[in-house]
Amino acid sequence: MSEFLLTQIINFGTPLVGFILFLGALGLPVGASVVVIAAGAFGQQGILDIPTAAVYGLIGALIGDTLSFGMGYYAKDAVQKRLGNSPAWKNATGGFQKNAGLAVFFTRWLITAVAIPTNLIAGSSGYKYSHFISYDIAGEILWIGLYGGLGYLFGSEWELVSDFLSNFGGLILGIVLFGFGIQQALKWQKTKQG
Amino acid sequence: MSANTNPKQKALVIILIILGVVFTAFFGMRALRAFKKFDGHRPPPHGKVETDVELIREWMTIPFISHTYHVPDKIIFEALGISPSENHEKSLEDINTEFFPDNAGYVLDVVKKTILAHQPPPLPDSAPTTDVPPTAAPVP
Repeated sequence: MSEFLLTQIINFGTPLVGFILFLGALGLPVGASVVVIAAGAFGQQGILDIPTAAVYGLIGALIGDTLSFGMGYYAKDAVQKRLGNSPAWKNATGGFQKNAGLAVFFTRWLITAVAIPTNLIAGSSGYKYSHFISYDIAGEILWIGLYGGLGYLFGSEWELVSDFLSNFGGLILGIVLFGFGIQQALKWQKTKQG
Repeated sequence: MSANTNPKQKALVIILIILGVVFTAFFGMRALRAFKKFDGHRPPPHGKVETDVELIREWMTIPFISHTYHVPDKIIFEALGISPSENHEKSLEDINTEFFPDNAGYVLDVVKKTILAHQPPPLPDSAPTTDVPPTAAPVP
């Protein structure tokens, strides 16, 4: 998928970067991070105009994020009806609301694999859109700047960067899952003792 | 974990911990391997003409390769014996599938060889020295 899209970016230029990041933000497996790194490299090689690609990319990603937040928002009633009385759901949404800003920010650029579930949960848990979009903009700017910047720096050797960053994101996700699981287990242990 | 904890929650937490360990081990090893490739690898200087043909991939188009390696695309199309006008937006893989379906990797191979044969000579790293070696003083 990514390889087909890379060929099309060479042929059709910056608007396609925006469209691909839009699709990625909706959850389609388009390899959005790979595209951002490659776009930076293409910019260094004089194939794409960097500021235009960054603006198109940012707009595409923000529209996609807003739509996936909206999907969660409109599914809110159905979710509430099904899970609203469950203490686990109340606990989870309460916990999410406390750290939602950080979750939105870090899932834009560091743990991108869970960006879509975060958008859906943010929408369905009643998190304020104005807060969501503020953290979203900050995270997406960092994502495009950092990943695109590394692509620009490494030029035609951008695949080295892409390979490392995609695996590093998975590693961070693993650490977060493990840490969260241990935290929950310790919490229960404390409750038992107390 | 307390005895009155919901068994479903208990299972979920155990799954989270197991997934966390699996992800950390799997991606940690891959990230380490990817990081080792960086070892001693510095970003190329800006404006450097690419010369490493091993970086050519099958998703690239001929005009893109021509631009990156500073070899006219006409030469590459000629080497492949195909028309530039209808094929300039196609990837090497698509060209291979369309024109050389029985010869996988042929186009990539020809493009690499053509680039190697027609690359502009590399620029010297520094200006050549103008120092003239000392000569013996003329004997009067």
